Amino acid sequence: MPRRKPLISQTPVALILCLAMGALTARLTAQETNSANTATQDQNKAADTGKTASGDKAKAPASDLKSAATDEGQLATVNNAKIPSYSKVYVAPIAGGFENYIIAGLRNKKVPLTVVIDRSKADYEISGVSDSEKAGWAKMLFIGSQQSNEQASIKISDLKTGAVIFGYSVHKTNSVRGRQSAGEACAKHIKQIVLE
Amino acid sequence: MSYKANVVNILVLLIAASVSTALAGEKNAPPSQKIPKGAKVFVAPIAGGYDNYLKDAIAKKKVPVEIVASRDQADYEITGTSESQKASTAKKVILGNWHSREEASITVSNIKSAEVVWAYSVHEEGSAHGQRSSAESCAKHLKEVIENQ
Repeated sequence: MPRRKPLISQTPVALILCLAMGALTARLTAQETNSANTATQDQNKAADTGKTASGDKAKAPASDLKSAATDEGQLATVNNAKIPSYSKVYVAPIAGGFENYIIAGLRNKKVPLTVVIDRSKADYEISGVSDSEKAGWAKMLFIGSQQSNEQASIKISDLKTGAVIFGYSVHKTNSVRGRQSAGEACAKHIKQIVLE
Repeated sequence: MSYKANVVNILVLLIAASVSTALAGEKNAPPSQKIPKGAKVFVAPIAGGYDNYLKDAIAKKKVPVEIVASRDQADYEITGTSESQKASTAKKVILGNWHSREEASITVSNIKSAEVVWAYSVHEEGSAHGQRSSAESCAKHLKEVIENQ
């Protein structure tokens, strides 16, 4: 009696099962690593707070540039510079139209600044760069995430004196709202140096 | 010095002080962020022909503005950027999602005063109708702003 050929060949099925198992293991490992990283960051934050409290009296600031770590990026202000509220700000074109996201972020975060489209009418200028990295197939397969990685860096300069008074950079891994999130992060931190 | 001369001096000083205060206040006054109903709006070309979607959406959502073809005839200008990413094979096979990823951001500025009066950004991870959805989202929020002021 002739042997019947199975409808589905065994080799591809075994291969697919192996791949699926591999992906599942990698995903679990990634989740464990993430939770471990979060715990380590929390410990580091606690340690940093302790250090700052003890070292404040001992160390005086060495330069005018002050840097502070935020949730997503680095913030730098010169001489604690402040921008008067409703100052006229020009947002210079940034590759990929990121300037529009910054303007929308300024409005969304209710930053008290007047954005103008004519540089000659402005007191301050915001310029910068941005980069967006879309999720690839490997990220979708192993992490199960289709969210992009976003990074941007901006600076604010006083157009009268030419001095750079503020700088901020943001990096978001798995940005839920893409460039919108990065633009709003920039706006949120700009608000900190605007006098209300 | 006579009494009259003193009074005149004081008055002059008071007027000068009030004028300088008014000028200082004018410089940093909050902008009048209003788009009147029936305002003439020019939609500047946006990469990928997104301006066409925006014009259609403005008409579909019955936004109370008048779209003009020339910037010279307009009171306001809409500029912006958009990005559309079609679902890749990996997204279809692994995540089972056929919808595209849409991002757009628009800015409405007053042409005369050169001030930005309104801005909005939208992000849709799985847009059912692609660029049309994001354009309609922009138009819907623009309509809310015009009607609620």
